[in-house]
Amino acid sequence: MSLLSIRNLQVHFPVNQGIFSKAHQVVRAVDGVSLDVEPGETLGLVGESGCGKSTLGRAAIRLIAPTAGEIHFDGRDITRLSSGDLRPLRRQFQMIFQDPYGSLNPRMTVEEIIGEALDIHGLAADASARHGRVAELLSDVGLDASHANRYPHEFSGGQRQRIGIARALAVEPKLIVCDEPVSALDVSVQAQIVNLLRDLQDRRGLAYLFIAHDLAVVEHISRRVLVMYLGRVVEGGEAREVCRAPKHPYTQALLSAVPAVDPATKRSRIVLTGDVPSPINPPSGCPFHPRCPVAQARCRTEVPVNRDIGNRRQVACHLV
Amino acid sequence: MSTDTTPLLAIRDLRLDFVNGDRPLRALDGVSLTVHAGETVCLVGESGSGKSVTALSITRLLPSPPARVVGGSILLQGRDVLQMAPRELRSVRGGIVSYVFQDPSASLNPVIRIGKQILETLELHRPDAANDAEVVQLLKLVGIPAPESRARDYAHQLSGGMQQRVMIAMALASRPKLLVADEPTTALDVTIQAQILDLLRDLKQRTGMAILLITHNLGLVSEIADRVAVMYAGQIVEEAPARELLARPLHPYTRALMDSVPELGRDVTRLKAIAGNVPQLGAWPTGCRFHPRCPKAIAACAQHNPELSLVEPAGSSRLVRCPYWNS
Repeated sequence: MSLLSIRNLQVHFPVNQGIFSKAHQVVRAVDGVSLDVEPGETLGLVGESGCGKSTLGRAAIRLIAPTAGEIHFDGRDITRLSSGDLRPLRRQFQMIFQDPYGSLNPRMTVEEIIGEALDIHGLAADASARHGRVAELLSDVGLDASHANRYPHEFSGGQRQRIGIARALAVEPKLIVCDEPVSALDVSVQAQIVNLLRDLQDRRGLAYLFIAHDLAVVEHISRRVLVMYLGRVVEGGEAREVCRAPKHPYTQALLSAVPAVDPATKRSRIVLTGDVPSPINPPSGCPFHPRCPVAQARCRTEVPVNRDIGNRRQVACHLV
Repeated sequence: MSTDTTPLLAIRDLRLDFVNGDRPLRALDGVSLTVHAGETVCLVGESGSGKSVTALSITRLLPSPPARVVGGSILLQGRDVLQMAPRELRSVRGGIVSYVFQDPSASLNPVIRIGKQILETLELHRPDAANDAEVVQLLKLVGIPAPESRARDYAHQLSGGMQQRVMIAMALASRPKLLVADEPTTALDVTIQAQILDLLRDLKQRTGMAILLITHNLGLVSEIADRVAVMYAGQIVEEAPARELLARPLHPYTRALMDSVPELGRDVTRLKAIAGNVPQLGAWPTGCRFHPRCPKAIAACAQHNPELSLVEPAGSSRLVRCPYWNS
């Protein structure tokens, strides 16, 4: 059974215009996405800015209220649970944020930051148990127990991200939603955090919903990957397969645009024209058709459904 | 490269401090860099390595104080920027060297139409061409569709990629000899990044200007650079033609940096991370700056900082700041 199972999830935000007006338009940030995360696996979610990947990640653990659709966690429908009913469940799904500078309270020590999570869920019997547990968590993420009394500003970006990971781990979750956890870090430190996340997964059997715009990082860490465009999933499958033989024209362009360090890697570049359209007024038919190099008449009118094409691959394109 | 013997830009042994109270913090420690006419040079480094400080000091754009040049020279077409009077400096800024920065939405004025902003640059540097036709021409040059109507837009009406194109149009308005692009694609999506890189390559072909591209992304080096310099903790640790450097990095830092980047389609189970963190300003280690993180460091590395010296692996000549590059 899947740990996290999402069916046809929609998240729409109203756009208010003028001073008195009601909401006339909606941003379709997530527009009918289904996905499954198995226990202990990593599902990668890639896409460019504005494609709805972060909104999806937050809605998946009910940090944003979904407009429609269903979210099941560990077999239980959490789509419409009240926040009181949700709180004990929150132990099981945690989140790591992109900005290690903005996501830690600057006035709290590391021990207070991590200990707060323990307190909320009543996981430490007394102060000494709490202290010991914080030290344990710090060493799990490669920090020193003596760091517990310091403040976030005393740490580098990579170390702060480790603190954020320790905080998420404190409540022993089954799933961690990682929203761009390495994109604010220096290249040399990025690899440390990716390796740490993998080690923790091996040791604790964690599942990750790993959101990133960097395809190479996602391919590296994920078993399966979903590619999003304008609030929808356009392609999905085994990470290695999707990156080796992309089927959807958008995935093909996205992959070809990644600059390679090794000059021997020759990629024939597909340069897309135009920008990502607005999710307020998405194009008719296939949302990608205005930028698609192979679009046909049908693509302008008919929305392609996400089809299973075998070998655990799914593609939303008329031409595949 | 140029047949002219005077390079377009020659930075020699530049040392620069940031004065913080009474304690100066060294940000650049003997940086030497040459850019010839029509050449694309990449300056690669992580945050705090001094790459942006180097870029800004080319036309003395750093406010002083806190910045203070304590040694070296910056020769632009043979003239020392550090000795220039304010008037001369003004003609150099934009006139010979133009800049494109990372965040286009912060660089554009939000309350002035973009066409007017480009016109301003023209009025300053090419008054005889300061007209709407030239503005449209420039917008067309950087690939903005419907330039006539776009010229009347405000910055917020354009996407990030389009804003960056406007910034490039503005930088090109003065027909600079050198375009300094400081992380020009970092704030953009990969598909838009590819568009901007294509544009820069194409513009370089058409205008013959030189480009100094500042980036942390080694992937861009193989896409665009003729030559590349790698910076670490205020110093250049390696410099070489781009192809040679990527094919065979000599400095342990360059090698480690390349290994730590995950590459598409590369089947590795574990990334080779560099241990430790990038050292902060004022907390540079003694000896070789990289030695605490270097997998090959020996006791001598903690003693003295090696010079950037010419070495000759397999017939080519390369600059590297590590005496043990061959081991």
